[in-house]
This record gives sequence, C-alpha cells and structure tokens, in this order.
Amino acid sequence: MSHTFNPLTVRHDFPIFRNHPDLIYFDNAATSQRPERVLREISDFDQKQSASVHRGLYELSSHATRRYEAVRDKVAALIGAENGSTIAFTKGTTESINIVANSFRKRLKPGDNIVISGMEHHANLIPWQMICKEMGASLRVIPVTKEGELSLDRLQTLMDHKTRLLAVTHVSNVLGTINPVDEIILEAHLKQVPILVDAAQSAGHLAIHVKKLGADFLAFSAHKMFGPFGTGVLYANPVWAPSLHPLNFGGGIIQHVDFDQTEFLEYPRNLEAGTANVSGVLGLGAAVDYIRTLDAESVIHHEHFLATVFKEKALQEGFIRVMGNPRRHAGIVAFNVNGVHPHDVASYLASRSIAVRAGHHCAEPLLQYMNEAASVRVSFSVYNTADELDRTIEALKEVKKFWA
Amino acid sequence: MNELDKLYPPTIREHNTSPFHFEQRKDRAVTVRAYNPICGDRFDLFIEADTGATNTIYFHGFGCAISKASASVMAKSLSGKARAEALRLCNNFLDSLDSDSDEALALPEEWKAFQAVREYPERRDCAALAWAEMKKYLESNPS
Ligand SMILES: Cc1ncc(COP(=O)(O)O)c(C=O)c1O
Repeated sequence: MSHTFNPLTVRHDFPIFRNHPDLIYFDNAATSQRPERVLREISDFDQKQSASVHRGLYELSSHATRRYEAVRDKVAALIGAENGSTIAFTKGTTESINIVANSFRKRLKPGDNIVISGMEHHANLIPWQMICKEMGASLRVIPVTKEGELSLDRLQTLMDHKTRLLAVTHVSNVLGTINPVDEIILEAHLKQVPILVDAAQSAGHLAIHVKKLGADFLAFSAHKMFGPFGTGVLYANPVWAPSLHPLNFGGGIIQHVDFDQTEFLEYPRNLEAGTANVSGVLGLGAAVDYIRTLDAESVIHHEHFLATVFKEKALQEGFIRVMGNPRRHAGIVAFNVNGVHPHDVASYLASRSIAVRAGHHCAEPLLQYMNEAASVRVSFSVYNTADELDRTIEALKEVKKFWA
Repeated sequence: MNELDKLYPPTIREHNTSPFHFEQRKDRAVTVRAYNPICGDRFDLFIEADTGATNTIYFHGFGCAISKASASVMAKSLSGKARAEALRLCNNFLDSLDSDSDEALALPEEWKAFQAVREYPERRDCAALAWAEMKKYLESNPS
C-alpha cells in the first residue's frame, strides 16, 4: 500500500454524519453520501453562476458552458479515456445503457445474439432483453458459480459470429465480485464483439483505465461515487461513438433542422437533448476532484478489508449465511440470518441506526442462481470503519435473539 | 416501549412463528399469488370452497414477519366467511392501515397488532400484501 487514509478523517468531509452522528451508513451500493466539496460546488453555481449552457451569449452562460465542458476532461482523466469528447453526460447508468441498447437495436437481425452475465443489475439486463425480443435475437447469459463468479469457460461457446455485443458488470452490486473485465474484453475482441462495461459499482471505488482495458462502452452514475443524483456518464470509444444515436430528441443536439429532416451534432452532444443538468454535471466534476484527493489503491484496499472482516465475523457467529465467496471482491456483502427474513433484519438494524438494503437488489435472476429469495446487503465506502462492523455484528446477534 | 416491540408486537411474532393454515393446498383450492416485486415476498393464497357458501383460506410461501403474520391473520379472519363478508373484512383491514383516527379501538384484537405500520410507511405494503390480493380476487369473483 502506498499510503493509507484514515476513515475517521474522511468522515469529516461528509455533512450527513454531522447531522446524524450515530448513523452507520452501509448502503453505499445504492447511493453514496456526498462530501461538502460537492454540495458547495452545486450551491455556489446555483447562487452565483447559474445559467444554461450552449445557448446564451452572455458571460454567465459562456462561463457555465466552459465549466460544463471541462467536466468531460476531468471524467476522461479519471477513467483513463482518450479525451473529453469520449464522455457523454446522461441521467445515470440506466440511461447510459439504454442509449447504447437503443442504438444497437437497429443493428440486430433475427438470429443474432447479445451476451450478458447472470449477475447483471436489471439496468444491464432488461434493455438487452427488450431489444432482443423486438428484433428476434436471443439473449445469452454467462452463468454464475456457487462462489459468485462468472463461468468464463463458457464464454468461448456463448460468443459466435452472430454476437453483436457483450454487456457485463465490472463489480456485482450484490456479491461484490470484481469480474476480470480485462480478460473478458480480450476474448470479446478476439471475436470482434464490442463490449459494454457497467461500472456503476466500480467508478470511484476501483481505478479504471478504460483505454488499457479496451472497453468500447462504459456506464456509471455520479450518485454512487460521491456526486449528485440524476447525473451519469457514458464513455464511448472513438471507434464506436459514431454508431450511437439519440435516445431523446429535442433541442441542443442538432446541426440543422427543417420540416423534412434533421442533421444531428456528433457524439457526445447528439445524446444530450434538452436543457442540460448543469449543476449536476458540475457536482460530478467536484466528485471526481474529491476522488482524486483519495488514493485509489487505499480506497479499494479499505473497502475490501471491511468486506473480508465482515464475512469472517459473520461466519464465526454460525447463524449467518454469506452469499457467494468470490476470490476478487469489492466492499459489498450479501447475507442472510438463518430463520429471519431480510426485511426484519433490516428493520432491526434500522432501529440501531444501521442503514442496509434488503430485498433482491434489482438482480432477481442472480438470487435464483444463489438459491435465495432475498438477502440483506451491506456495502462499504471510505467513511466506514471496523468499529461500525463490530456494532453491526452485535446488532445481528440481537436480531437472532429477538427472533429466537 | 422498545421500537421493535412496537413494530413486532406479540401477535405478529406468534403468527410469524406459528402461522395459521400455513400449508400447500394447490391441488384442492383456487390459488391467488400475492407477490411484492420490490422485496421478493411471495405467498400463494388458497381459497377452498366449503360445502356451504363459505370458504376456508390457507396460504404458503415466503415473506417477512409482518407480511407472513398478516397473511396468517387474514386466513384466520376470512375462513368460514362468505365472499361478500370476506371482501368487507379486506376493505376494513386495509383501511385500518391508513386511517389516523381512533377507530382502531373497534378493530378485532389481532388486527391491532398491525397498527404500528402506520408509523413505518416502508413496512405498510408488507402488512397489506395478502389482503390486497385477496380483495382484488374477491372483487372480480364475487360468487
Ligand atoms: C451494477 C449496477 N448497474 C446499474 C445500476 C443503475 O444505476 P442508476 O440507478 O444510477 O441508473 C446500479 C444501481 O443500483 C448498479 O448497481
């Protein structure tokens, strides 16, 4: 480890913990908390600089436009992309994936196929299922092992000359599995299959170098990486960017319009119809700045450490079943308390100021692989501590007693 | 009172551990699926015609303590009732989860246990799950 950070110091950056000093926030996979720096950026803009971008001929607007456009470069630098013009701003991961799916729909012919994995969030499953159904193509699924890893030995046979795209998550939002996207991308490219990586759970947690990885598309949400709600990113490799078409039509994306036809701007501007979420994008920029103050290696080391310790302690108690046991994992653990429904576990933890998620985590098919109807999920971030783990394990013992 | 004792009063805990008519009856009854896609809770409600105009209700499946206890209390409350009466009870129970008034005093003892969900809106759907599906079924199958 190059240098480590102290989660207790980091915690001071997040006003939520001043307002809720006892809060143990273990629902980071749903949304992270936002540091002062991001909140200040948004409120400064709204109070002192607010104007629409790409439109006005006055100083406030051109200033807003410059700052908005500069966030593309910041995001590109964070993920090791070629340059800012590979970055489109969207509402979030879900919209980013839908943009790609909508564009690939037109490329699908009956008999074609798209390959996804068995551990996808619904956001990286349903768009592909829909376009496959519509176009008479089939959706192929890389199976998941009991350990919660992808059966990559199946990839060779799943992909063939009719595979039009492979879509896979970098980190599972349920099991925490870090998938070997580098290997997967190599295999896909050997067969000339483009690949979309869902980075919703990895952006801000793991160092991503999209150019080295060779991902053709990458999608993530600002709100899961210390940024604001309602803002997200789609990265498209310059080779594939021209194949992306607008999902939304409207103002701001056109070169020329008459009543018969419209010529669109080039990627990424062609995807950003309507008045932009300027404060959201600036907040995303501030979140990127914030992430850059943290050492990426220490971040994933810390979150991995918390997950490992949690699993060890949970298993020691004997009444907790942890879902999967992936060799490479981030700071996410799904589990069940024997004989107690996940909602009742979560309600109990809530009464102890511990915020966790219970349910199927928008990944119903994965839970079928794992033979569980639902689970409790804890997901960690930079401000979580080992002490919070201990308090959670104690609370889980009380849950067991309460329901005994 | 402890917050959890309020959310899970003895009636709910008892019905959760020893539910009423909790058994698979698919082969003998009309089956209605009560499913909450948000949390994955899933119960089959079995409506078995008695010799007279009444029904006996069984249920089976997977859900949290509140949804399970609520389905259990439903099976108990509706068994032996004619459809119109069963529907009336469904409406009353569902109303009782939303009303602010003290009408609760008049509720059957076992129903009162679910009054706490009025303070936990995220758990209201758990208490309503089986009753709401039963209500839908009874409305479209009045006899
Ligand atoms: C792996 C993964 N993909 C996609 C999404 C969807 O992200 P959003 O809801 O921000 O669009 C999530 C969020 O839960 C996720 O965890």
